[in-house]
Amino acid sequence: MAGLLWALFAVALGGLLVYRFVGFAALQPRWAAWLLTFGAGVSLGIGLTSVVFFLLRLALPAVPGISVWLEIALLVGIGYEIFRTRKPAAVGNTKNGFLLNLLLACAVLLALAVATIAMAGAWEANPWGNWDAWSIWNLRARFLATGGELSHRAWAPTLGSHPEYPLLISAFVARCWVYGHSMSAAVPIATSYLYLLALLSLTAGGLAVLRSQSLGWLGGLAILGTPAVLHEVPAQYADIPLGCYMAGALLFLLLEHPVLGGVLASMAAWTKDEGLLFLAVFLAMTAAFRGRQVLRAGAGALPVSILVIAFKAVLVRGTPSLLGVSVPGFLSRIEVPGRYWQIIGAFGSGFASMASGWYHPLWPVLVLVFVLRFDRTRRQDLLFSGGICALMLAGYFTIYLITANDLMWQLQTSLGRLLVQLWPCFLVAFLVSLRTPESLGWAPLSAGAQPQAKRASRNTKAPRRR
Amino acid sequence: MIGNEATPLSRPLAVKAAVVLAALTSLWGAFEYLGFESSYQRQYADPYQVGAQFSRFEAFQARVPENAVMGYLTDLAPGSVAAEAMFGSAQYVLAPRLLEKTPAGHDLVLGNFAKPGDFLTLGLPYGLRLEQDFGNGVVLFRKESR
Repeated sequence: MAGLLWALFAVALGGLLVYRFVGFAALQPRWAAWLLTFGAGVSLGIGLTSVVFFLLRLALPAVPGISVWLEIALLVGIGYEIFRTRKPAAVGNTKNGFLLNLLLACAVLLALAVATIAMAGAWEANPWGNWDAWSIWNLRARFLATGGELSHRAWAPTLGSHPEYPLLISAFVARCWVYGHSMSAAVPIATSYLYLLALLSLTAGGLAVLRSQSLGWLGGLAILGTPAVLHEVPAQYADIPLGCYMAGALLFLLLEHPVLGGVLASMAAWTKDEGLLFLAVFLAMTAAFRGRQVLRAGAGALPVSILVIAFKAVLVRGTPSLLGVSVPGFLSRIEVPGRYWQIIGAFGSGFASMASGWYHPLWPVLVLVFVLRFDRTRRQDLLFSGGICALMLAGYFTIYLITANDLMWQLQTSLGRLLVQLWPCFLVAFLVSLRTPESLGWAPLSAGAQPQAKRASRNTKAPRRR
Repeated sequence: MIGNEATPLSRPLAVKAAVVLAALTSLWGAFEYLGFESSYQRQYADPYQVGAQFSRFEAFQARVPENAVMGYLTDLAPGSVAAEAMFGSAQYVLAPRLLEKTPAGHDLVLGNFAKPGDFLTLGLPYGLRLEQDFGNGVVLFRKESR
């Protein structure tokens, strides 16, 4: 139980940091601003406290309690700063628009409740998560929680289960276990659920601020209407956190918050190796499409990127990685035409297998695309977001092409999760590029909907921080 | 599939219908997940019995120091799913003790057996002496001093 409180402490710290330094509170609609603050707070709070815990375990193993006091001091300092500089509450000028937006909000809550009930059954049946949870992510958390020299076993070359993988999730779970004085299975369960909530909040809030309230709620529903995504939450793998960081980074770039976007992209790189590819693609696409933001995005990404590079270059140097063992002899593998067809076929069947019965998570998106259609004034956003998704898929394709492992085994054990990681970014790319229901005269525009509709019609920049 | 924002459609009913349909379809997805996850968990409730390993290794943990680096010996076919699951779940429960998948080159070796057997004899080819049998297929071997 105490471990759970420390997980929530990290969320509170992240939320206060975002509230104080990013300033979403000024965005409209208000509910979306709070969702953004919560989503960014979860992602940033977990990432930041994980990094601090890991670095202090590494640098000052003899002073195990220093990170907790540092976090408390930071929380008190930020809390006091917010209290000291508090302003009168802004008068919200947004109403919910009309009845349908209220119904959409209720639908999101219903879908979340249904998903949570299903997950509760999974948590009870499999509290330790699926295979990779206890053989990789939470195993390394147990090492990190030990402290001293023994914590270095989390990346020991003799550890059979991917000692070269990044440590954001493992270090956060270890942090909560250490602070809570118990290695409770509730901590990794709560961590994965918090990331789902963050992903939901970022998608709904981000789309609502960028486009319209209804698209925001529909984006949240689309996340909760993807069984493949939801199924990964109780698995306790790092794919949902990675998907959350990737979608968050993309949305914050679109929202003209490149520093925060860069921070989240770098945290993706500290979550899973695929995040390293995302970080490179993210910065390259930002340079290509949003050149004036690239320096700030790079500055945001720099601190955690240094940690990732140091980890890979120093701590796990020489430990075989998927890429490292795939490069020798890759020329002979890329010359085999059958591998291309095999991978293409697997991508197709992997996408098809996101279905559950007659349902496929693409159906709601197709309904919206068919009726709302793409907004030509949002072409740049579509190219930017869709380009990131396309390059990520191309990167995954290349890795499969050159892998020295058995290709069938590699595809069967990983492709489904790679698609889950990217799915939120796909949803953002689609939904951010559609015309808004509000702009299509589905009801009299509310006070809150008008500015967004105007923004969309003029293709003005996304809202800036006020 | 590209629309023109400058000339908004005057078909609010179709737009409303599309939004409602998209929302209902997503809800359908959430309920599909509920059905899928429930039957999945009924079929695969702790399939590798990770939870059971905590009590199975309790006495072993008390005996072996946390900083131990141990060899490993099992009666399961190397590389099989069952062997990997037994090794992985043992490593998870015993951490921070470190297991290496070979009995060679270690003073202490964990014997993790799926079936009852003559564990004493199983250790002999590797120069291992049975130090303690904890029951339930959990055995501590020690390298014979020469």
